[in-house]
Amino acid sequence: MIVITGASKGLGAAIAERLKSKDKIVVGLARDTSQMTIDNVACDISSYMAVKNAVREIKKRGECLEAVINAAGVASMNMAVTTNEKTVQHLIQTNLIGTIYCCQLFAPLMLRQKYGSFINFSTVAVALALKGESVYAASKAGVETFSRTFAREMADFNVRVNCIAPGPIRTDLLRGITEEQINNIVSQQIVPRGFGKPDICDLVELLLDDKSASLSGQVLNVGGI
Amino acid sequence: MNIEQAKEIVRQVILEALEEKKDIADDDQLVGGAALLDSMKLVEVCLALEDISNEHGFEFDWTSDATMSKSRSMFRTVISLAEEFAKQSGE
Repeated sequence: MIVITGASKGLGAAIAERLKSKDKIVVGLARDTSQMTIDNVACDISSYMAVKNAVREIKKRGECLEAVINAAGVASMNMAVTTNEKTVQHLIQTNLIGTIYCCQLFAPLMLRQKYGSFINFSTVAVALALKGESVYAASKAGVETFSRTFAREMADFNVRVNCIAPGPIRTDLLRGITEEQINNIVSQQIVPRGFGKPDICDLVELLLDDKSASLSGQVLNVGGI
Repeated sequence: MNIEQAKEIVRQVILEALEEKKDIADDDQLVGGAALLDSMKLVEVCLALEDISNEHGFEFDWTSDATMSKSRSMFRTVISLAEEFAKQSGE
């Protein structure tokens, strides 16, 4: 079984669809599950107790937990000086703390079976220090560092932790970003072309495959930085 | 569950994690410098205690506030872990 957070839309939904098409048992976590067609558990990952309850629900299903894919995230593109307190807290609470909650609370299920994989999500904005994304980038830089360190803590138990850092992908998170800004980011990648959801799904599949058994604690920058 | 039962359970799971016969004292340190357990063994002990707690009808929470304080952490010694385990059993 594979748990995907943020599975109701965007990247999370695309990953869920891809894995389902590969006959994986997928359970999606999202705040609003009303439109979801896959097996799901309602969960706001920014709440510790909500994640704890979701873990209990997943445990009840009695399936081996192969992976947790932390795709839930929020974005707000603003300079730090024009970002209000509520938005700062919301970004950190959801992107960083929510990812930490999901990792720490789902981990015991994998520790017990001595097998599993976490895939977390960062952003190209970390490596490129993109202007106008300071708080968002800070939340994701936290995810990268957490993932690298958490990977060491999990390694003794044959649990791998990796991070995918996409460039601009057409999802709701990119609202308000102009085509010119996107082109500017893409031009800074080693492979200077736009990548989409299918490319991210390919990387997810790669990280879930035993062929990537040597990879843990890594940040995969889509397009290369 | 009383403290003596909890102590016996904790001792047993530690011995199983250590995979060796050893005298375990109440005040043996669980983590830190002269600790009985490395981080991997400590996690194994926690998982085993979680299983046993389920058999006894409660859920052993090893991420509770009781794990955090240096002076009050449940992982200080065998007895402190047994006390927390007994406390969480609610009996």
